Amino acid sequence: MKTLYLTLSLLIAVLSLANPLTASAAEVKLLNVSYDPTRELYVDFNAAFAKYWLAKTGDKVSVNASHGGSGKQARAIIDGLEADVATLALAYDVDQLYEKGKLIPKDWQKRLPNNSSPYTSTIVFLVRKGNPKHIKDWDDVIKPGVSIITPNPKTSGGARWNYLAAWAYALHHNNNDETKAKEFVAKLYKNVPVLDSGARGSTTTFVERGIGDVLLAWENEAFLALKETPGKFEIVVPSLSILAEPPVTVVDKVVDKHKTRAVAEAYLNYLYTEEGQEIAAKNYYRPTLESVAKKYENQFPKINLVTIDGVFGGWTKAQKTHFADGGVFDEIYAK
Amino acid sequence: MQFKRKIIASLLVSSGVLGVAGQAAANDSTELEQLRALVQELDQKVKVLARQSEIAAEDATTKKKETPVVKASSSGFGLESADGQNSIRFRGVLQSDYRSFSDGRSGIGAISASAPAGFYPANEANNSFLIRRARPTVEGTLWGIYDFRFTPEFGEAKTSNSGSTSGIVDAYVDARFKPWFQVRAGKFKPYVGLERLQSATDIKLIERSYVTNAILPNRDLGVALHGDVLDNKLNYAFGIMNGVPDGGDSPTSTTTINDREYQARLFSTPFKDQDSALAGLGFGMATTYTDASGTFNSSGTTAGTVSNSDLTSGYKTEGQQTFFQYTSATYQSGRRFRWAPQAYYYYGPFGLMAEYVDESVKVNYDVPSNNQSVGVNQKTLNNNAWEITASYLLTGEDASFKGVKPKQNFDLDKGGWGAWEVVGRYDEINLDNDTFKNFGTGGTLSTANAQRYFGDLRNSAKSAKTWVGGVNWYLNPNLKVALNYEQTRFDGGAGIGNPNASVANGETPTNVTDRQEEKAVFARFQIAY
Repeated sequence: MKTLYLTLSLLIAVLSLANPLTASAAEVKLLNVSYDPTRELYVDFNAAFAKYWLAKTGDKVSVNASHGGSGKQARAIIDGLEADVATLALAYDVDQLYEKGKLIPKDWQKRLPNNSSPYTSTIVFLVRKGNPKHIKDWDDVIKPGVSIITPNPKTSGGARWNYLAAWAYALHHNNNDETKAKEFVAKLYKNVPVLDSGARGSTTTFVERGIGDVLLAWENEAFLALKETPGKFEIVVPSLSILAEPPVTVVDKVVDKHKTRAVAEAYLNYLYTEEGQEIAAKNYYRPTLESVAKKYENQFPKINLVTIDGVFGGWTKAQKTHFADGGVFDEIYAK
Repeated sequence: MQFKRKIIASLLVSSGVLGVAGQAAANDSTELEQLRALVQELDQKVKVLARQSEIAAEDATTKKKETPVVKASSSGFGLESADGQNSIRFRGVLQSDYRSFSDGRSGIGAISASAPAGFYPANEANNSFLIRRARPTVEGTLWGIYDFRFTPEFGEAKTSNSGSTSGIVDAYVDARFKPWFQVRAGKFKPYVGLERLQSATDIKLIERSYVTNAILPNRDLGVALHGDVLDNKLNYAFGIMNGVPDGGDSPTSTTTINDREYQARLFSTPFKDQDSALAGLGFGMATTYTDASGTFNSSGTTAGTVSNSDLTSGYKTEGQQTFFQYTSATYQSGRRFRWAPQAYYYYGPFGLMAEYVDESVKVNYDVPSNNQSVGVNQKTLNNNAWEITASYLLTGEDASFKGVKPKQNFDLDKGGWGAWEVVGRYDEINLDNDTFKNFGTGGTLSTANAQRYFGDLRNSAKSAKTWVGGVNWYLNPNLKVALNYEQTRFDGGAGIGNPNASVANGETPTNVTDRQEEKAVFARFQIAY
């Protein structure tokens, strides 16, 4: 038995020498899985946060970002992509992380201010210089001969906001007649020649490939196109659009596995700080912090904005009715 | 771009637009406007087609990344998820052997008071073709961490591995949480013997040595913590297992011995990955410990059935012929401790492996049900075995603990001859002298309680010493042909004269001679993938 104890002691001594448990935690890596048009926002924000975190804790943090259609990104996380944080286009996609993956708690949206949406946006029209098709509002978009560029609502969060904004407009102008709204949206998709999987793909189709007369775009994406290709496009603000609230969350199971909860939570909280909100505003996202919103109020046009809860009864209902397999979108797009 | 222009031109020509437009341009500005609009429309259509094709290509690339990969190669067949985290592989081993004995005996002969006078050796060993191993394997990985392996046995090894009745060689899960923290549970090769841990397809000679086959465990049920530390230069393992007889293979059911066996091993490769002549050096130490005394209560009775097969089903020669077995009344009654220093060294085409094992085991004669309480006829026996194996690859390949990959596969058309290797080994096993001493009251076999032995020297040898030489021909990484010649000498193991000759207390029988030498040629054709 003595020999056994000797052997065990030797093993323990060797393991102690190897000392793998005390590896340095001074360099932290995070993965932010986000939707398509946030690339530029998070390039700026990640750099600012790394600087802030280094000053605050002395630890280096590097944030890798993954971008794609919001629905696709949510599925990737559920399928095993180890995102420390998810910053997606809409709450339904984040809900799926709970519903299908149990990766976050059910009440995730209550953990951060403004239903976990640090910034908002809306849907506008991007048209070619001079607005050759004279597009002023949603009614002009669905006219025959107008080519519309919008991504696939099955894979893109932005596309779902586009769809619902059009539906809300049609309801508003037809006494909440669902049948007429459906006809309106069906006409809209009849004018869509290409369905990209994400909003950035649609911007490429419209801006770089020169296809279409109007791009239904995130407001920030439209501003970015103006900035990057000056003199080629114009923004047209419709009379009614929808308040898009892209939410953010820590992916609990991943941060607990990676031991990155503290830095991941600090990362999201930093979005709500004045510095974070400034970066959002500079990248054409509407800030939620009042002081920053006031500073940038002239940057964003005033639009009559409806909400997903107000018109559609929330994302779960909207998803089931319109975008689930066999839903209204499948019905109208199949025609 | 050129492609697009060609498409536009083709569309225009095919629709007859160019010809018409030429005339219209000259005559009518309205028609010119219509023509411009038409061209723009066609341009849009071409762009849409091009973009749709681009999106379809992107989708195809994405789908390809998500599509499981089918793998079929000489190292196995299987499926793997696109992210590589989940996989399943189908592998297999077939070893078809021939054994030819010019001298040698089959098993051990029975000794009884009524045996006739004269020689009483066992029968001659039989020449035979046989399937030594036939093992299909399903193995794989889940979530990139959890490896699993299931290997049944259809060959001779199913019955020759003592204790095995299930025909399952391996059935385990290995969780690789970290390189330094891995957990294996199920039935597997215990982390003890070096030669045992070498794959059956990679061993240099057709059969393993006495160290491995006779004394150290073969397969066992339990759980082991293991991993690599110190920059992967030190491998550690600690296991809690059922405990198996010497050389034994655990059944998949419960065990009769009440206490578990504890196993530990450290193996170091300090110069690994260095540009040094010692890069191929590895050495270590393994131990096992169990105590069977907990199987028995204070009066010596036992809840289960114990027998000599709990100690070993019999020590075997290279030709797989039993040359030693404990007498049927002998069983393990206390602790068993083994320690096994081990080493290998590979340098270029040269390989060397050496291993030693020393075992002390407390045994008792007569089962407790015969009112012989534990301790009355109890003794601790010390047995040992060692081996040294050398190999040299004549065709210049690098030797290693793993298999040989020929520089050129055997191919009559292209002129490759595969890899050729010469191998040699010396190994021996020595049993405790006390094993064979009479501790009965003295006298003849026919006298009650007169002769008691843990092992009877008249049919079980006290030692075996073996030389083996051979040639291996690796046709390619999957096919191997091996030819071995072995010669084994024994000390004792055969009776002569009168079985009822009187033996005094504390003495060994005198009517004993050495078991006939075993001389045999073994051949093997092996395919493994």
